[in-house]
Amino acid sequence: MKRWLGPLGVLIFVAAAAHVAALHLAPGVIMARALDMLAARGVALHRFTTPERVTPQTQSVVRSSPDLYYALCRYDLSNPGTQVSVRMGSWPDYQSLSFFDARTDNFATIRGSGRAVAVRLLPPGSAAEEGAIVSPTAKGVILIRRLAPDAERFAAATTAGKVDRCRLEWRDRIAAPAGAA
Amino acid sequence: MQRVLAYLAAIVTGAAIGLGSALWLAGLLPGTNNVAFGNVDVDGWRSDFAIGSEAADPYTRARVAHHGLLALAKSEAVYFTRNTDDDGRSLSSACTYRLSGGAMPAGWWSVTLYDQASMLPANTDNALSIDAGRAGSGAWEAIIAAAAPADTKHWISSRNAGAFDLTLRLYMPDPALLSEPEAALVPPRIERLSCGEHG
Repeated sequence: MKRWLGPLGVLIFVAAAAHVAALHLAPGVIMARALDMLAARGVALHRFTTPERVTPQTQSVVRSSPDLYYALCRYDLSNPGTQVSVRMGSWPDYQSLSFFDARTDNFATIRGSGRAVAVRLLPPGSAAEEGAIVSPTAKGVILIRRLAPDAERFAAATTAGKVDRCRLEWRDRIAAPAGAA
Repeated sequence: MQRVLAYLAAIVTGAAIGLGSALWLAGLLPGTNNVAFGNVDVDGWRSDFAIGSEAADPYTRARVAHHGLLALAKSEAVYFTRNTDDDGRSLSSACTYRLSGGAMPAGWWSVTLYDQASMLPANTDNALSIDAGRAGSGAWEAIIAAAAPADTKHWISSRNAGAFDLTLRLYMPDPALLSEPEAALVPPRIERLSCGEHG
């Protein structure tokens, strides 16, 4: 009996460690896969997509709402000298600008019903600045939601979205780094 | 040699148990649809107000990452999900239901139907939800069925959904909803009307 105590202890320890590790890693793994999937479906890096209305045929993210306009922008602030300049154009109804990090946390949301919003997104570890948000992770997603429950409102939201902006910049210059979209 | 094999078996078995139990409890195993989770339960509608925040426990985080990616934190929106009718029976596209309610404690709300993969069901009926704008300010009702009813104003199509659930979105929630959801929210009722080949 005694000779099984060692393997039994190892089994319990490994099971507990694997359990904790799987839960800890799952959001990051799922988000990384989602980012890859969004990239494969044309969601650009540092540029808002011009979205299609959410239907069973066009949906790309689980539990999307068919009543909302979603514009997505992937970002990568791996270079600490960069920032993402974000602008959400005006929309007379509900709209919001939300930020999600690489672990799926919604670390900031700005409501902008009836007004335009401009903000800068800074790399992890940056000092707080007025008019700027610090991202907890280098990579993530920025999402604009606009209430647009029918085809007519969706078309209007698409027009409003033409002035939306998501652009990578050097923090001490205005020009975008080479290769950035 | 036998001792080495015993330790190897313990490591492999332990890893499998740990991984499997984590995925099962987080609702991530293939074929599971454990979306009605959370610490808030209002008449069978379940929510977790820690969604989207760092405070979410690891099980919630994993579930949300899988079933509700890019969900907003509660200050902006809360999400309730229900996969049973008022009598506790699983929702199915083989049945017809009456969904009814009234005003909600939020700036805007909607109820949307999703299949077991957390996706909109594969149909072209353009009848996937009801929202505050269409429902109006007072009492409202919608019929959930696989085919359009002849005499109803609001229809939510369950065609090709199989077993499904409903998500209630409440955007710009009233403070009372966040502090005392059971008192502030009167959620929609889901009454089963009939079942059969065509619901």
